[in-house]
Order: sequence, then C-alpha cells, then structure tokens
Amino acid sequence: MTAGILDPTISSTSRRDRPGGPVPTTQSVAAPQLGTLRGRRVGLLENTKRNAAALLDALGAVLTNTDHVDLVRMTKQDFAMPLTEDVVDGIIRDCDVVVIGVGDCGSCSAAAVADGIALEQRGVPVAVLCTEAFEVTSRAMAGLKGRPDFPVLLMPHPIANLTARDLAERGQTLASRVRSHFLGPAA
Amino acid sequence: MSPDLEEQAAQAGTTVSESRLDPTASRAMAEYLFDRGWSDGLPVLPATQEVVEEFLLHTDRDPDEILAGLPQLDRHATVRDIALHAAMAGCRPEYLPVVLTAWEALSHERAARGGGWQSTSGPAPLVIVNGPIRHRLGVNSTGGVFGPGFRANMTIPRALGLTVRNGFGVVPQQLEQATQGVPGRWFHCVGEDEESSPWAPHSAETGVPAGQDAVSVVLTRTSEFIDNRSFHSAGEFLRDVADTLQRMGPWIFRSSSAVLVLNPAHAQALDDEGLSKQDVRRWLVEQAGHTEADLAAAGKGLSDRPFGPFAPDHFHPAITDATPASLPILVAGSPNAAISMVVRVFSTWSGQSFPVH
Repeated sequence: MTAGILDPTISSTSRRDRPGGPVPTTQSVAAPQLGTLRGRRVGLLENTKRNAAALLDALGAVLTNTDHVDLVRMTKQDFAMPLTEDVVDGIIRDCDVVVIGVGDCGSCSAAAVADGIALEQRGVPVAVLCTEAFEVTSRAMAGLKGRPDFPVLLMPHPIANLTARDLAERGQTLASRVRSHFLGPAA
Repeated sequence: MSPDLEEQAAQAGTTVSESRLDPTASRAMAEYLFDRGWSDGLPVLPATQEVVEEFLLHTDRDPDEILAGLPQLDRHATVRDIALHAAMAGCRPEYLPVVLTAWEALSHERAARGGGWQSTSGPAPLVIVNGPIRHRLGVNSTGGVFGPGFRANMTIPRALGLTVRNGFGVVPQQLEQATQGVPGRWFHCVGEDEESSPWAPHSAETGVPAGQDAVSVVLTRTSEFIDNRSFHSAGEFLRDVADTLQRMGPWIFRSSSAVLVLNPAHAQALDDEGLSKQDVRRWLVEQAGHTEADLAAAGKGLSDRPFGPFAPDHFHPAITDATPASLPILVAGSPNAAISMVVRVFSTWSGQSFPVH
C-alpha cells in the first residue's frame, strides 16, 4: 500500500503561491536569426574561468576581422549563478548578440545555459559555449528552463591549460561555428 | 521523550510489537522507493503526512518557512520538506532541529547557495555538533567519530543529501557533476568531545556560547589523517600537521582553509606545553606553505593570477589566515591512538555556528 507515501521531489511550496512569483508555463522561443554580423555589437561575456576571457578574445579578434563587429567585453563575476535581472537589462541595452562562455564546470555550464535562455527570451540572439564534458548538465538546465532544444556550442574539454597558440586556433574554429549559429548554415 | 511525544510516536507506527513487523512488506517497500529514484543508493524509509507531522513536533520553526534553496534551479525546500527528507534518511524525529539548523548554516555559505552541489568537486557537508544535545541525541564525538555505527552521525548529514537530490533535483551525472566525488559524501557529522578538550569548544569560538546546543556546517572535500604516536614535543607534532596542511594536491586558489580535528591525546599534549588553540592556529598558518618555485614545479605557480607575479622564493601560506573561519580546530575521537584528521574545506567557510532549534 503506497497511497499515503509523500513524493520527496514535490516541494510543499508548489502547493501555494511562491515568493518568487509564478513559474512561467509557456514554452520560451528562440531569438530571430540575423542577416549579417557586420557592424553588430557582439557581447563577449566571460565567466572568470581560466582561459575563458582569452578564448573569447581570440574568437572576437577573428570576428572583428571577418565581420567588422564591435566587441563589448563583459565579465560575469559569479560563474555559478544566473545573471541578475539588472545585468540582463544592461546587456540587452549594450549588445545586439552575445557569446557566453565558457561552461567548463558543473555549475557554470548550467548557469551559462540559463543565462543564454534568459537573454534569448528578451530577443537577443545568444551563442553559449560549453565543453563536451558538460553536455549533460547543459541539456539538463535547458530542459528545466523549458528549452530542451536550446543549442549549445560544444568544444573539446579542457580549456584551462590551453596555450596562447591553442587558444588562437580554437578561436578560429569557433568563429565559423558562431557565425553559422547566428546567421544560419549558409553564411 | 515526553509522554505525549511517545504517544505520537506510537500512533505514527514507529513503535509496534515485533509480531506485527512484516519483513516481506519492508523489503518490497524499500525496492519501491529505489524504483521511484528517491534513494541515494541505500534503502530509504517511506514518509507519510503523519510521519512528517511527528517530526515537526520537535521544532518551533514555521513549517512553511523556506530554509534551503537553489535559486538558479528555482527549487526551494521548506521546513516541512526537510522534515520529509529527514524521515526518509532514517533520522529519528528528535534529530530534526539539528538537520534544520544545518540548513540554516548552509544558507550562510556562498558555496552552498551557489554552485557547490553541482560542482565537479562534489563537496561533502561536515556537520559539527556542540552542546548537551550530543548526549540527548547520541551524536558520537569519541571513538570512530567519522563513522560508521552511530545513527545520528549517519542520518543527519544523509538528510541534507536527500534534500539536494530530491528537493533540488541535483542528481549525480545529471546536474550533479562530481568528477570522483568524496568518500562518504553525505555521512560527515561529528560531535566535539568537549569533555576531553583542554580548550573552549569550537562553537564558542564561532558565535554560540559554550554549554549551548550549536551546529556548524563546513563544505569539505577529502579527509587526511595524521598518525603521530612518536613525537617528543609539540613542535614535532605541529610540523607533521603543517606538512599535511601544505600538500599541493588541494592547492587551487591563492590559499585555502581546513578543519583540524585533533584527537584528545594530541590536544592534551599541545595544552601541556602551554599552547592555546589560537597559538596552534597561528603557528600552523605561519609555518605551512610553499614557495612560488615549489608550486611552479608542480604546475601550480600563482604568478599568472591577477594577484601575481611572485619572485621564485616568495613564500605562500597554505592557510588563508589564523582565524577560526580559515582553520577551525575541534577535538574528537578516542585517545587510544595519537591520530588526528585534516579535513579540506571546499572554497571558504563563513566561520559561524548556529543555535539549534
């Protein structure tokens, strides 16, 4: 007889109004695709993980050359946590598209996906970079946020010990993937 | 237990005659709970509304108060939820205030509010219990203090793990990304053997007066023993401790924190030479460390960090500073051998104990 057994995965908070307000029930949607990156303000949001800023710089250098983008460099101080609402407001004001990275740990990969989905919900196209080792946790967070199909750009793990030359090569490879991500495969 | 609580317990079915116990049904129930995915890998107990209400009789907290949560996952746990998890973990109802206070303590830890439970480090919460409640609940503080064999020591931290798993949905190999994890991750709970300590209790150094029931929780990684039965002086023994504290394996930031769990014999030997707990702490912080060249030889030089660069002979202390937050020291274990333990702290610890309720 299991009728009276309580399900420990259902919080008592779900039975009444939550302090954080209602949980959105609508499926969130992807941001629209772009026609070109030329002249766009490309936000590079690094998360303080080792080599994250250097990798985004390498990627930004390539995109500046090929697509004449304007780079907006930003740092996310608390890599494990989702961006706060006011930081999201600032990013939306300052950037046309955003590249987020690098999710190379358990919490920062999930948080990077949560940030990507939050920005896309506000209409900003986003490319989220994670390492292959954290595909599962990236997908788990995407599912929790109602976007199981949210695309994550995966790259080989690790990045923390890459040399300057490795990073330049990695930036080159990533640039074409990020372009296709924002512009579509034909671009 | 007061007579009215005994009656409650009997009503909730926790005390029944042996002839009414059904081993087949118990086994089937355990398997059912495994199949639901609610277990950490060991059998859990079923929790019903009646059981949860029985646990809640032991706390003065509002059952609907949110005491734990992971905002990034939009998951929260109330006092009532935590009572449910404690019941499933095998806690006795009277353990609940310790479990709740442990969550109150964890909510003050940046690492636990942030990504700690999802981390590749797989940190283990070390629950430290001070005060007379150790005797009331049977929290072990002497022989075999790190377990197993004592229900309170095993089930209280296990309840924290079940909140992380079931309450937050942080499940291994999914949102939980521990690389190797920590042996006995959800089974670290020690009482301090205040009666055998020559010094003031850990709780008194971290915010709760001696003699009062207190809980503190430190997120930790591995434990490393120091077996030294042959020292002739405090200095010899402390050099042995410093060698363990300065080991490079755990060295990932500029400096780190550690819990030092001294067995009563080691603590007494230090006290015999007139050393206070703070003297011990100060000595270890001054002595334990490595030069930049040593760290660089292991690929762990700190010169390329934002706070660098450093000359090759620059000495980096292993422990951040001589405070109870960076190097908490407590006394526990049996005096039957001179064995003590260094427990590595994950990230930093806030250095606070909390009154139990």
